[in-house]
Amino acid sequence: MTIGKEEAGRLALAAGLVRLDDKHLAQVARAIAGARELAAQLPKDLHWSEEMALVFRLPASEGGRK
Amino acid sequence: MTDLAYLSVAGAADLIRARRLSPVAYTEALLERIDRLDGRLHAFIRVTREAALEAARQAEREIAAGNWRGPLHGVPFALKDIIDVAGVATTAHSKVLIDNVAAADAPVTARLRAAGGILVGKLATHEFAIGGPSFDLPWPPAVNPWGEMRFPGGSSSGSGVALAAGMVPAALGTDTGGSVRNPASMCGIVGMKPTYGRVSRRGVLPLAYSLDHVGPMTRTVRDNALLLAIIAGHDPDDPGSADVPVPDYTAALDAGVKGLRIGLVRHFYAEDMQAHPEQAKAVEEAAAVLGRLGAEVREIRLAPLSDYAACTRLIIRCEAFAIHRRWLAERPGDYGDLARQRILDGAAVSAADYIDALRLRARLTHRTLAAFTGIDAVLTVSSMDPACRIDDAEACARAYPRQARQPFNVTGQPALAIPAGFTEDGLPLSLQLVGHPWQEAMLYRIGQAYERATGWVERHPPGL
Repeated sequence: MTIGKEEAGRLALAAGLVRLDDKHLAQVARAIAGARELAAQLPKDLHWSEEMALVFRLPASEGGRK
Repeated sequence: MTDLAYLSVAGAADLIRARRLSPVAYTEALLERIDRLDGRLHAFIRVTREAALEAARQAEREIAAGNWRGPLHGVPFALKDIIDVAGVATTAHSKVLIDNVAAADAPVTARLRAAGGILVGKLATHEFAIGGPSFDLPWPPAVNPWGEMRFPGGSSSGSGVALAAGMVPAALGTDTGGSVRNPASMCGIVGMKPTYGRVSRRGVLPLAYSLDHVGPMTRTVRDNALLLAIIAGHDPDDPGSADVPVPDYTAALDAGVKGLRIGLVRHFYAEDMQAHPEQAKAVEEAAAVLGRLGAEVREIRLAPLSDYAACTRLIIRCEAFAIHRRWLAERPGDYGDLARQRILDGAAVSAADYIDALRLRARLTHRTLAAFTGIDAVLTVSSMDPACRIDDAEACARAYPRQARQPFNVTGQPALAIPAGFTEDGLPLSLQLVGHPWQEAMLYRIGQAYERATGWVERHPPGL
């Protein structure tokens, strides 16, 4: 899939990347194509009840009134 | 000199404790070796010579006074240059951070120093632990001493090279998608990715918070266990750190494998990917060796490698982009091409796809741990291929995904890469042992039995 410079420019702008030159924008275009390819490899049968792996936990014994 | 160059941590500790080896003489010898070899191997970003010699003199005084601190006392080590050392730049091998002087030691640095270790320098890495090997950075990439212009793996490339070349007996690397085990495999050394949360990551430049691990790299399994014992432990200021007791990793090191149940994951290298024949044969022969030593080896199946790979790559891309977004916005030209590309990749991933990758991670972790029921550890391949040429960019790019390490960054399980022989051309081959969470000691036990039975770690690169 070919991604145009215009689409790459829009994504870069949205991401706050305002100082990219043409070589960098070509890399953004490759990133867009790669992201679509990877997303297509995600399983289609993830059920809503399957939550994400936790990386945030509150301490077990802290907080609240004693 | 060769004897000192390839002395193990355990061997050096015995000599130093008995006052038959001076920490100053040992450090001077390794610094001389670094001076002689690093012009062509490029393992080091910075050598901290004066501080190392001063620390060695202090260690010598302490030991002479009867205050031996333990097996690392007076023993040189080095750190991947994304790990903070107070007063020394943490560059991540990048122009972006060339003047980034650390204010304090990372906890892992502090632990190694408190154990009496002698820091001799900061080691090369792929830029920001993601973009390599690259030739457009302020420092050249580290080169594998096992062959002319061979790729040492990465991203802890300098750590692998320094160990294989006999410049240091101990080093730390980091592993987000395999970056301890890859250079261990390519350079013929031992690398442990401990359980997620086992070792503090504070003061270590992140690549992807939820997948980052710090791990010990050494030339022998015993040394690796000694090093992990020093750096493992809870850090309340690292949100990923776990408050789980640290066992004695050497207690059962020589207990052998008789009666242990080992699952062989053959489909990773025979179906999901086709490993180089000599690499596949090395793992099969390792299974036979462990069987002869008394282990029960049986084949088990995990999810296909491609599931783990998609999950890992999406998570790394998104988390890395979040970390780098400000620098990329301000100084995109200060990145090398490879790191810029791999980090920009995260700008294009949708939030929903990132969330789905995290949900897939939960599914894969649950299923993988279930498959470990009834076995003590898994044996499989680490890299699919021996080292390619470092100046062949296409070969290096092809090699990057041909591995079976990412599954255990996804699940957070401990995984140990150890030498498993050599190709006909003399390049290192490797295997990977994977354990239940917090069971690093079991991997060391199996690794030690295999290492003693095969002796691969006795071989060193020729011509150094």
